[in-house]
Amino acid sequence: MKKLREEFADTLLELGPKDSRVVVMVGDISHGILQPFAKACPGRYFNIGICEPAMVNIASGISKVGLIPVIHTIAPFIIERAYEQIKLDFGYQKLPVNLVSVGGSFDYAQLGCSHHCYTDVSLISHLNRGVVVMPGSPIEFNKLFTDIYSENNINYFRLSEQSHGVNFNREDIKFGEGIKIQDGKDVTIAVVGSQLKNAMNAAELLKSDGISTEIIYFHTIKPFDKKIIRESLLKTRRLVTLEELSEHDGLFSISIKSSIGIDGLKCEQIAIKDFIHGYGSYEDLCKKSGLDHHAVYAAVKKIVNL
Amino acid sequence: MNSELRIKILEMVKRSGEGHIPSSFSIVDIIEYLYSSVLKYDCLKPKWSERDYFILSKGHGAGALYAVLHAKGVLKNDDIINYGTPAGILGGHPDSTIVPGAEASTGSLGHGFPTAVGIALGNKILGLSNKVFALLGDGECHEGTIWEAANIATNQELRNICAIVDWNGSAAQLMPRDDLPEKWKAFGWETFLMDGHSKDDFEKVFALVLNSKSNAPKAIIAKTIKGKGVSFMEGHGKWHHRVPTDEEMDHAILELKNEK
Repeated sequence: MKKLREEFADTLLELGPKDSRVVVMVGDISHGILQPFAKACPGRYFNIGICEPAMVNIASGISKVGLIPVIHTIAPFIIERAYEQIKLDFGYQKLPVNLVSVGGSFDYAQLGCSHHCYTDVSLISHLNRGVVVMPGSPIEFNKLFTDIYSENNINYFRLSEQSHGVNFNREDIKFGEGIKIQDGKDVTIAVVGSQLKNAMNAAELLKSDGISTEIIYFHTIKPFDKKIIRESLLKTRRLVTLEELSEHDGLFSISIKSSIGIDGLKCEQIAIKDFIHGYGSYEDLCKKSGLDHHAVYAAVKKIVNL
Repeated sequence: MNSELRIKILEMVKRSGEGHIPSSFSIVDIIEYLYSSVLKYDCLKPKWSERDYFILSKGHGAGALYAVLHAKGVLKNDDIINYGTPAGILGGHPDSTIVPGAEASTGSLGHGFPTAVGIALGNKILGLSNKVFALLGDGECHEGTIWEAANIATNQELRNICAIVDWNGSAAQLMPRDDLPEKWKAFGWETFLMDGHSKDDFEKVFALVLNSKSNAPKAIIAKTIKGKGVSFMEGHGKWHHRVPTDEEMDHAILELKNEK
């Protein structure tokens, strides 16, 4: 399967020649794979330098004259470092932008916490016109980006090198709608990103224990599909959320908000608690932070036995 | 010079109890000259697609911008009267989504200038000839985004942008090593020195800027006096965010009227 970042480059190459408003700005990231766009759309590609706050701020001027900026670099640098620029220059001024990050939460597992990002989804969600998309496969990115890139929103596309490996039909990918991966009656697992793989593996183990698991996958965090999660929880009354995001504000918190009024709900959250110190592979850091199918299995067993 | 505008600024701030008088006095002459003699601008059509842009990056000088926009007919009498009230659209920093003629919402320092660079870059991409002028505070030049954006403008050869720095000595109070002309020159900007309160100098310097054949962006370092026009406000840091008493108000207006 193609990497998400490659899909980003291909999608821009597809859209750029058709829409002369598209302007791409990167902070010395993905420069090589974006050369086809740069050649196909001369004068609309900028590897602007290592200056993330100014890159975002300057993009607001580009947006002000009617162009469509697509701004790209590693997640903590574009969102956390440049957050005031996003908040004021796009939020307060009501200007549109597409922010496309790479690196997910800890794809750069060999580089340490400076390159991790667990709060970006929450930060953009707090902005009124903030839209948050976490595509877990290339087709999701292509479909969702193509659908919404020219809307007057602060669009945030959070890309990861990890894919969940599930093949969706293009027509089943709808902006703002969750996807029911499998039906179940005992427990609801809500999941984002490549963690879907872990959810599915856990569900297999649980099945042999006689536990029927419903899995709901979200590629869009904001606007959030409250309906699909609510319907599921009215049936199962048990929720486990699985996310590579800060435990303080992410999929769990929005799922709980969606379940207000549902009596007797039992829940468990699997999320990132603190800086994940240390190095290794992506899988190593998943284990270290308790993001694996064993943890999902244990969480489900815990609430089923309550 | 521009006593009526200064009196208008005083009255707005006095009425509402909030504002930055000296920061507006140091720049009102420049802004008035821009809208009268430099900018390609139609006051009846503030969104005119062929307009030159003026961006007040030091947003706390908003009183000066409002006074000039009012004098030019972009803002109404009621807008000035309702400054800082729930009924109004004007406040201590400009909000571009509600104030006609305000091209950027500024207040947190270091945001308006990069936006101006982005407009200049966007216009270059679109092949448009609109010019962009941004007015920065000297204290604002302590912000990192100013220099990130200045570097980008030089490397993108944005000859369509002109930064005007209100060099009123505020920055030097905090960081005495304050050689702004050399800094802008070092960043690759074609740099001009200007008396921020001399119409003769305005004519001379803006003519040089507009006639320059260089591909470099332009920087005008405008030597100004904070609080210019009212002797007891001039240069005094304590007046930065102060509202005058009734007596001080009378003295200030008298002095301004006599200067006319």
